[in-house]
Amino acid sequence: MSALPRIDTYPPPAAPAAPKAVSPIHVGQGVTPLPLPMPAATAPSLWQRFWQGRGATALLGALSIASVLLFWQLATHYKLDAYIRFNNIPTPAQVMEKVIEVNSSPKFVTNIGISVRRILLGFLVATALGVGLGVVIGRYRWARALAMPALEVFRPIPAIAWVPMSIMLWPDNEVSIVFITFLGAFFPILLNTVHGVQAIDPVLLRAARTLGAGEASLLRHVVLPGALPHIFTGLAVGMGVAWVSLIAAEMISGQFGIGYFTWEAYSLISYAEIALGMITIGVLGLLCSGGIRLLAKLAMPWQAHSTGAP
Amino acid sequence: MKLTQLSHIPSALVKCLALCAAFLAPQAQAAKEVVTIGIGTQNTTTNTVTGGVVLKELKLLEKHLPKTGKYANIEWKLDWQNFTSGPPITNGMVAGKLQIGMMGDYPLLVNGATGQQNKGNETQLVAVIAYNAFGSGNGVVVHKDSPYYELADLKGKVVSVPFGSAAHGMMLQAMQERGWPADYWNLVSQSPEVGTTNLQEKKIDGHGDFVPFADLLPHRGFARKIFDGAQTKIPTFHGVVVRKEFADKYPEVVVAYIKALMEANDWVRKDPKLAATKVQEWTKIEKEVVYLFLGPGGIHTLDPSIKPRWVETIKIAHGVLSKLGRVKEFDAAAWVNESYLREAFKQRGQDYEAQKQTLANYDITGNDPICKVAVTRPKEAGEIWLATGEIVPVSSPSCLLAGVKQYEAAGKKVNVAYLYDKALGIKVVADKAFYALDTSNPKAPVGVPFLLKKDAEAYAAKSNGRLATFAEALGQASATVTASAK
Repeated sequence: MSALPRIDTYPPPAAPAAPKAVSPIHVGQGVTPLPLPMPAATAPSLWQRFWQGRGATALLGALSIASVLLFWQLATHYKLDAYIRFNNIPTPAQVMEKVIEVNSSPKFVTNIGISVRRILLGFLVATALGVGLGVVIGRYRWARALAMPALEVFRPIPAIAWVPMSIMLWPDNEVSIVFITFLGAFFPILLNTVHGVQAIDPVLLRAARTLGAGEASLLRHVVLPGALPHIFTGLAVGMGVAWVSLIAAEMISGQFGIGYFTWEAYSLISYAEIALGMITIGVLGLLCSGGIRLLAKLAMPWQAHSTGAP
Repeated sequence: MKLTQLSHIPSALVKCLALCAAFLAPQAQAAKEVVTIGIGTQNTTTNTVTGGVVLKELKLLEKHLPKTGKYANIEWKLDWQNFTSGPPITNGMVAGKLQIGMMGDYPLLVNGATGQQNKGNETQLVAVIAYNAFGSGNGVVVHKDSPYYELADLKGKVVSVPFGSAAHGMMLQAMQERGWPADYWNLVSQSPEVGTTNLQEKKIDGHGDFVPFADLLPHRGFARKIFDGAQTKIPTFHGVVVRKEFADKYPEVVVAYIKALMEANDWVRKDPKLAATKVQEWTKIEKEVVYLFLGPGGIHTLDPSIKPRWVETIKIAHGVLSKLGRVKEFDAAAWVNESYLREAFKQRGQDYEAQKQTLANYDITGNDPICKVAVTRPKEAGEIWLATGEIVPVSSPSCLLAGVKQYEAAGKKVNVAYLYDKALGIKVVADKAFYALDTSNPKAPVGVPFLLKKDAEAYAAKSNGRLATFAEALGQASATVTASAK
């Protein structure tokens, strides 16, 4: 009976009676009561069901994008000039024209493919190194004292500043480009991993030790899974920063890639193409972050996703 | 004014008063209107310095800006912004942040066309800074160890050039002229900074670039120029564009700018050695390269007039870029505005129409101390810049070789030596040139300098001579120390 009071607080106000009707069954079976309302108890209103479902998320998402587009359209159409100036910003229609124009040849898609490959390569290397190094640094004090000062010096250096050094460091320019995207992704992944490892409840570590876990199985079964939520945060941030550094990286290439496409459009002063390049990078970044969130769900099935206030 | 009257008061008090005055000034003087003039310069693009960094450092624009009459109540604020290429300047002009900008011919065209397509952002070409009537200044360089000696050697190779630049235009021009398809080579876009590093690291086979890189990179010792813009015979120039709205509102400012530009040109011509040294100090481009461009008989001629040929060049550029779908329609006549130039010439008491007709540059003059004759044929002359700072004019390549030999024997280090390419007519650095060496008269061997190996070979074949490098030519010159110029 001790668990019963908890139940009262839980169900939605629409169905106050339902849990009470159910609870005796649980108690009678001696099972820890699951604080779930019976789905059949009272059907929530259509609006509520919609509000909590995927439909609403999709609708809000569409609204978010649409309002940006609408603002863009209105601001460029009426040539908004209130300190921030839209006089010379290309209109959505002009960019749409470009979309059709560039898709008449396979070159644009090739550009995208090449950029995605560069980002993924850089990102994979950054994940391997960032997580590996992050666990070591987070777990062992000597490693932290030894590695962090040097890494902290490199961390604030902007991607574009790396361009000349990157060209000279690597024998192949493709590697130079991947190196710059790697730098973008590496630091967020590393720091989040370190943070995740340090944030693990010491009670868990002690418990595992008491159960006879060695260092290796401690890392495998406690530290890594415990740090995983933070690691995935690092991956999501790292993926974003990798895309941010893309233009700097692809300045080196001089051909191919969506960052290069945007850069070249600047040198020929074609604003619509610049906007198209920017939007493409944004969309690709969004897709990649979505991919990482999906991966996170698969990798951490135990994690209940808190959706926040409705 | 106030300060001079108070000058007998101890300086601390004066300072205090000046400070107070500065704080009170806005209220006291019926609010002077501050007009900011954004000027987009290209300090590292050596042939634009007299429109940019020289004006800034010598404060020439401040000297000419109108301060009386309708401008009595206006305070000019100069906002100098430096860029390494033209497109960012065009961007700044479209955004209304720059009122005056300077760039090479192809970027100028993009600037004019972009302005005409964005109503209210029209620009006008109001003056030229420097030109080469045959297109020299742009060029293609390769790594010095590479086996390429002409453009055709780069077939199927990776060649980079800053897209949208005058050098890009030159390469497109060269390709269209030769009927080469777009995939003749792998032409990629790299900014001068990126291209330079890539060439140094041998990651690209060739790099096309504008002033001064095609000559700067060989000077820095890791590159060789294998194609010069002069081979296209299409002029190249850098010009000044002004936002039309600004020029219409403050025409006197544009005239003042042109007068300052002309004064800067005079300053360079008056003492090119000093100018080159100063420009090196301000822009970090080596003085030897600055002198190669802007010194006497240099690759570029400082001349503000807008000659009909330059406008033709822009139209050719428009044709080249139109073919690639890179630029839309463009009205050159509406873009060129000579009225400010005419006014500036008038105010300086000079004849604009006469200046427009001439292609004359100032030349190497003086007495050749090696061969002991006066320098009379500037296109066969040369100069030796000694490490001590002295620049010695010489009358011929033979005299130059003999002179270098003499100075080296006397333990005097030669900084750099210049000669003229017999085929292209441009000033070249002597130790980077190829020579057609005619040793038929062993007493007086004749070395004829060329920038390009193929030109030297052709001349050698024609004149029964042989191809030689500077070192070989210098070796032959040893016996000719006292030979007379002929």
